[in-house]
Amino acid sequence: MSLFEIIIISLIKIVIAVVALLLTVAYLVYFERKISAWAQNRIGPNRVGFHGLLQPFADVFKLLLKEDIVPDAANKPLHTLAPFIALFVAFATYAVIPIGPAIHIFGYDINLVVADVNIGVLYVLALTSLGVYGITFAGWSSGSKYSLLGGVRSSAQMISYEVSMGFSIAGVLLLSESLRPIDIVNSQYGWMWNAIVQPIGFITFVVSAFAETNRLPFDLPEAEPELVGGYHTEYSSFKFAGFFLAEYANMIIASCMIVTLYLGGWQIPYIDKLGLGVTITTLLQIGAFISKVVFMLFFFMWVRWSIPRFRYDQLMNLGWKVMFPLSLVNIVWVAVLIMLFN
Amino acid sequence: MTVKKRTEDLTFFQKIYVAEIGRGLMLTLKNMFRPKVTMQYPEVKFIPPASYRGRPVLVQENNGVERCVACGLCSRVCPALAIEVQASETELEKERYPEKFEINMLRCIFCGFCEEVCPEEAIVMSKDYELVFTNREDAIYDKDKLLTSVDKLKDRLEFLRKFK
Amino acid sequence: MPKFIVDGKEIEFQQGQTIIEAAKAAGIKIPHFCWHPSLSISGNCRVCLVEVEKMPKLVIACSTYATEGMVVNTKSEKTLEARNAVMEFILINHPLDCPICDEAGECKLQEYAYAHGKGESRFEEIKNRKEKRVQLGPHIKFDGERCISCSRCIRFSDEIAKANQLTFIKRGDRVTITTFPGESFDNPYTLNTVDICPVGALTNNDFRFKSRVWEMSSNNSVCIGCARGCNTEIWVRNNEILRLTPRRNDGVNKYWMCDHGRLNTFKFVNSEDRIDGAFVRKDGQLVKNEWEAAINYAAKELKKFKANEIAFIGSPYSTCEDNFVMLKFAKSIGVTNINFLEHIIPGNQDDILIREDKTPNSLGAELVGIKSVSNGSNTDATLRSIKEGKIKALYVMEDDVASFSDEWEQALGKLDLLIVNAANQSKTTLLADILLGASTFAEKNGTFVNFQGIVQRIKPAVATEEMDRALDGMNMSRWDKFGTKYDRWMQGHKYNSKPSWKIFTLLSIELNGKLKYEMAEEIFNDIANSVESFKGLDFDLIGEQGIQIKNVNAGKRMEVKNF
Repeated sequence: MSLFEIIIISLIKIVIAVVALLLTVAYLVYFERKISAWAQNRIGPNRVGFHGLLQPFADVFKLLLKEDIVPDAANKPLHTLAPFIALFVAFATYAVIPIGPAIHIFGYDINLVVADVNIGVLYVLALTSLGVYGITFAGWSSGSKYSLLGGVRSSAQMISYEVSMGFSIAGVLLLSESLRPIDIVNSQYGWMWNAIVQPIGFITFVVSAFAETNRLPFDLPEAEPELVGGYHTEYSSFKFAGFFLAEYANMIIASCMIVTLYLGGWQIPYIDKLGLGVTITTLLQIGAFISKVVFMLFFFMWVRWSIPRFRYDQLMNLGWKVMFPLSLVNIVWVAVLIMLFN
Repeated sequence: MTVKKRTEDLTFFQKIYVAEIGRGLMLTLKNMFRPKVTMQYPEVKFIPPASYRGRPVLVQENNGVERCVACGLCSRVCPALAIEVQASETELEKERYPEKFEINMLRCIFCGFCEEVCPEEAIVMSKDYELVFTNREDAIYDKDKLLTSVDKLKDRLEFLRKFK
Repeated sequence: MPKFIVDGKEIEFQQGQTIIEAAKAAGIKIPHFCWHPSLSISGNCRVCLVEVEKMPKLVIACSTYATEGMVVNTKSEKTLEARNAVMEFILINHPLDCPICDEAGECKLQEYAYAHGKGESRFEEIKNRKEKRVQLGPHIKFDGERCISCSRCIRFSDEIAKANQLTFIKRGDRVTITTFPGESFDNPYTLNTVDICPVGALTNNDFRFKSRVWEMSSNNSVCIGCARGCNTEIWVRNNEILRLTPRRNDGVNKYWMCDHGRLNTFKFVNSEDRIDGAFVRKDGQLVKNEWEAAINYAAKELKKFKANEIAFIGSPYSTCEDNFVMLKFAKSIGVTNINFLEHIIPGNQDDILIREDKTPNSLGAELVGIKSVSNGSNTDATLRSIKEGKIKALYVMEDDVASFSDEWEQALGKLDLLIVNAANQSKTTLLADILLGASTFAEKNGTFVNFQGIVQRIKPAVATEEMDRALDGMNMSRWDKFGTKYDRWMQGHKYNSKPSWKIFTLLSIELNGKLKYEMAEEIFNDIANSVESFKGLDFDLIGEQGIQIKNVNAGKRMEVKNF
């Protein structure tokens, strides 16, 4: 393939990925509202369009039509920059998530991933850590005590949970012997899903993922009762929409990561034994990936509307005294497994 | 700060916590499939019970005369100063009647003090909760809007007789 | 001074004082309905029963004389029990009318029922029915059921108004009050009975059902009906005067005021024909102008005339301050022709309150230095000069000169320039070239000097565009305190008027800058400094009860005599 072709193919992938992401985010908000309503025996949005399906667009228009307010006390460049950092990180992370096996189309071999990086997992870890800059900047530059507290909490939380997250992944890497997401997926052939092989690692990773995405029960950076809106208290209109978008995009990435690392990625156990055609297999596998991600997203929301927020000291306790030791136990467990069966 | 000790120790399963989270999740999941309680408001309307305190109205007897004698007690007791009464003389036995009776629905806080203080059971809280206006002037309800036939208020009057 | 003991407290009394009087003087209140300090003792309500040691039965405090060494107990169990019993007895036939009763809120029976009543009735029978809504006289309606037969009204009309028109008829619980056959309760003082009635049996036709008492604010003032200057309270709701009531001043009016003063001296304040702003005649029509423009125009017009072509007419209706500032202003532009016209109805006078001089401040106007012209007589020099064309410009302050006679009206028509300060439309304002809205007595601070030479304060009770109820220290009702401009009960019209002294000050600023008054008190201090009779006085000294002017030489008008 020439360089030109590579660029074109990458651009097409990027456009598809971004559009898909944006649409998903829009409908995630819709489903978030629906699921919260269902959990509370309500109906949820049902006025805009058929069963309220146009609600996300109404929400977006409303947000964009609002006045963009920048507080006098704010540091204006950083205040403007912050949501873009958050957005950039969210979108950039998406680049390394594989949604299916390599396919052969129009005479090209194409990996169903924007960038097939051989250190993909490291890349994701690095970028998600960058995401905290967006939030911390937003908190500091707003010139509001609530925002600042939100920002500070966020960075502390990120650091605490990144540790156990990293150790959980270490278990996965021990098994796959690669940092490339595609390899990791391939290493979970059959029922050898990491979630089954190393359940403790799975749990610590999922919990850390909740914390990293600032979702309930770990949404302390934006805890409404105490911090108004947390780091985005002083944001409105498009910039607020930016944070909103980033939060949901992060959720998608977290789900994708969970699926990729622990739930076998696009794999359907022993599908190759059924002797189906290549195209159908590929489509089924993409479908499998998407349904696994959708389930994880549902799980995110489900948890949000079931479990109350932790107190800050509880959060730190859990992070350092429970999650961290557990992830260490997990590494030992994986090491023992490798010693025994390899 | 005083630390409150639990009266009972947690069981082992509660201590694991994961199991309890699972139970919580199942609870919300179960609720997702239960019938919905939402009323589709403009199409379906809530009919309040007799104890409901909607907008205050004046009771009008079947002969067309209002019960109110314009004593002004509701106006005096109103903590939000929503009520203005102007009395005048009438040939009827009650001597006084309200020439003007206005309730500013922007001020009203639906506390029901007016109803409680009224010596004539002339002002009562209705079931009407649909109060919409687009300017301050419209929000001031005069006698025309306040007078309500006694038949329509039977529920509330009975309730008052029982519990007031 | 002899002493006796009330509730364990040693109290001095004068020989001949009753227990209730002596106790009242010492600040101990004994409940009473029928007793009134300036009426004879009747002793029929029995609510003032007190226990006196060594007396076998309780005695009524209003008709038992205090004696040396007497030990009175107004709070003993026996007394309270008796009081409760009396209250219960009185309330037997008293209707539960409070919601429709005008007296509610200032009702003695209500207060005592609250303090001494049982809170419930043991009376199971049907209450007495008596005549309600009886028109006793032109101003008074009587409700027989509410009456507790204390006889205050009867004694008042006999002893104070000297008109024997009321009496009790029937006996027992059927007793009621009526006029003598063929008579109507009609004398100049009837409405005082409404004030002294301890319940709401007597109501004022004019005020009946207008307002609950707690909805109004009251401010102290002085009646402008005649030279007596009865002390009054002005009751205002929604910036509208609803009634006047007399205020106690033993040196002037005691507890009373006449019906004319009570009914006819406040309605013009809120009437339709108020001059609301400043007007200038343009093409034969009076056109409303901004104050600044009108004052500017007036100053320009005044400049066109020589000093001896201008005359000023002051007013015995205006305060001393207004007249004084007018005088100073006139003198500052060289005018010497300054008078005011008397309003005397000869013979319309009694030896109770009413005076034949129908203005509140003719003595004050004279004292500050304005000459009086007897009753606007047609032979007056000013009138002559106008007719002869010597005087071409006339400034009339707060007086309806044209209504004196046709001659005056014609003379005013001849003038080249007529400037009028007036509160209401009149024949004079119709002729005015420049018409400036003047504040009434209820809208300004100032002083009146009554015919006895007592200087009395008036205080604002009605807000104007420049007098704010809160900022200018008027008393406020609950409505006034919490109202906003969006509340209909706060939207009472505020007139765009100014007190005359302010108008002259503004004119002076335009013309020569000699007068710089900002408030009435400054002017009075100036008067006190420059006028012999007012030496050493200030607003604080005058207080609520007024103060007698000393070393006056005011001639015929002054009459130091209490009634």
